[in-house]
Amino acid sequence: MTSGPGLRWLDRLEETLIATLMGLATLVIFVAVVHRYSLSHLGGLVVWARDAGYPGLSETLRSIYFWLLSIRLTWAQELCIYLFVWMAKFGAAYGVRTGIHVGVDVLVNQLRPEWRHRLVLFGLFCGALFTAFVGWLGARLVAHLFYSGQVSAVLEAPMWFVYLCLPLGSFLMSFRFLQVAAHFSRTGELPHHDPASEVMTDEVRS
Amino acid sequence: MTSILIFGLLVALLLTGTPVSIALGLTVLTVLFTLTDVPLDAVALKLFTGMEKFEIMAVPFFILAGAFLTHGGVAKRMIRFATAMTGHWAGGLGISSVLACAIFAAVSGSSPATVIAIGSILVPAMVAQGHPPRFGAGVIASSGTLGILIPPSIVMVLYALATAGMNAKGPNGERVSAASVDDLFMAGVVPGLLLAILLGSVTWWIAKKEDYPRAMRATWSEAFDALVDCIWGLALIAVVLGGIYGGFVTPTEAAALSAIYAFFVAKFIYRDIGWDDVPKVLLSAANMSAMLLYIITNAMLFSFLLTYEQIPQTIAEWIVAQGFNWITFLIVVNILLLVAGTFMEPASIILIMAPILFPVAAKLGIDPVHFGIIMVVNMEIGMITPPLGLNLYVTSGVAKLGMTETSRAVLPWLLSMLAFLVLVTYWPGLSLTLPQSLGLM
Repeated sequence: MTSGPGLRWLDRLEETLIATLMGLATLVIFVAVVHRYSLSHLGGLVVWARDAGYPGLSETLRSIYFWLLSIRLTWAQELCIYLFVWMAKFGAAYGVRTGIHVGVDVLVNQLRPEWRHRLVLFGLFCGALFTAFVGWLGARLVAHLFYSGQVSAVLEAPMWFVYLCLPLGSFLMSFRFLQVAAHFSRTGELPHHDPASEVMTDEVRS
Repeated sequence: MTSILIFGLLVALLLTGTPVSIALGLTVLTVLFTLTDVPLDAVALKLFTGMEKFEIMAVPFFILAGAFLTHGGVAKRMIRFATAMTGHWAGGLGISSVLACAIFAAVSGSSPATVIAIGSILVPAMVAQGHPPRFGAGVIASSGTLGILIPPSIVMVLYALATAGMNAKGPNGERVSAASVDDLFMAGVVPGLLLAILLGSVTWWIAKKEDYPRAMRATWSEAFDALVDCIWGLALIAVVLGGIYGGFVTPTEAAALSAIYAFFVAKFIYRDIGWDDVPKVLLSAANMSAMLLYIITNAMLFSFLLTYEQIPQTIAEWIVAQGFNWITFLIVVNILLLVAGTFMEPASIILIMAPILFPVAAKLGIDPVHFGIIMVVNMEIGMITPPLGLNLYVTSGVAKLGMTETSRAVLPWLLSMLAFLVLVTYWPGLSLTLPQSLGLM
């Protein structure tokens, strides 16, 4: 489901944000692992070059080693976690729109249409209610962290900013539930996630 | 009393069709605010920090790797290799499908991804060769479940997460620590291969009985070409398993590396995806990951509530007092999980059930790793039982067959998997021998 023309920008923003965060987090961990292993292998190479009688090479490798050592990537894991926390909060909102949050619909689908209609709306309002409440809890937490000036363990990023995704993501998710509910009561259609069509490229599909 | 209310509310909310994550979260908030005096901010913090573990991040990384593998031509080349090896046997493409699924399962952590990657190519190929679509759908839906038993496996990661740090006690009151991802992955290897052989045998038997066509025997040079061509995909097995068991990287890092590797192979070696496909792949992986992470967050809150109310411990003591031993308990567990598997998806079941069942299993002296494998096999079966079987659903899409027809098509394989479940349940050595002999546990 996509929003009306007035809100298309929000859809785009949401999609770009989560795809970027996903890619960034993967790159961060990749770089951190490569960094760790180039360090340990370089150390070995420095010793090898010295013992094998290449003092010049050994010196060069040594300086590269210390340059690499000076880039501390201990924050990579923390950064990866926060990137994914942001991705998860906004991705969950996107998921409402794509209908990926599945429930147990066995009973609901057995019901007469008007009862099914009511229960589906009830489910969507539960979603909107819960996420709005969580958003409010998140806003309280962010306000509290803002005044206490807490920072994260390694990155020393202000925690209120890190957790800003909680109210923002949750309120957006709540809004998405209402949007889907409005769409459903107007057209009787729910967004439906089809894994087979989503992951297949055109080449495979043909 | 509280426990009846908790489960009653959860079941009631689930039956209205409310998303599982929302139902879990609403249940917890309602119970905590009406019946306990846990402060609001403690709950809020729990809800927000529940996800901040590096181990959890293996889930999105494995999903991303799976997305790149499904998009890129890795699956296609594995299929070519599998067909060259076994296509001329009785059972022809059917056996090749099982083999291709088993190989793909060793690089992918998800069952639906395996079905899509292998099935979208092999089901049409089988139909074109004169197999009925039902046969193709049955082979693919059932062999696709290998995705979560043969490592890596997202479901195993979830089991390890759901039980990590639980206060479980053994039969003599000693502390039982939860299974690690490393142990679980290794424990899945032997049962995974055995299940592949079993599914292959069923396929062979049906194909022989119905006299389905075989492929031409591939020449040695063709087979060798096919192997060389898919070597880049096969190398991913070494990246993930070699990385973890060589002690080079943690499972999460291995997952991230496999995502980068899968992208690299698909983009630069096989050249099956272009730059403009990348955002689409990232978005679809993010969508799936965010959904799972959302369930995880709320399930952790739910398990916090259970622990706070001492419910798993109470159930464990009650079960022991009823005179259940591990054999009778596992019958109950299997039935419970099979029933749950018919109408819920694996991630939710594992995250809700594992924290409840694990302390009981520990109390009865069942090994946490063995118990994890039992749960995974149950989830596999759940994926091919209607009304909610993820694999059935995906297969009916790729085979262009109705859900009812697909459900009927998997029956022979489903029966063999039920027999396999009994074997896995009552023969702990099947799962545990390999990790133990490697000194992991």
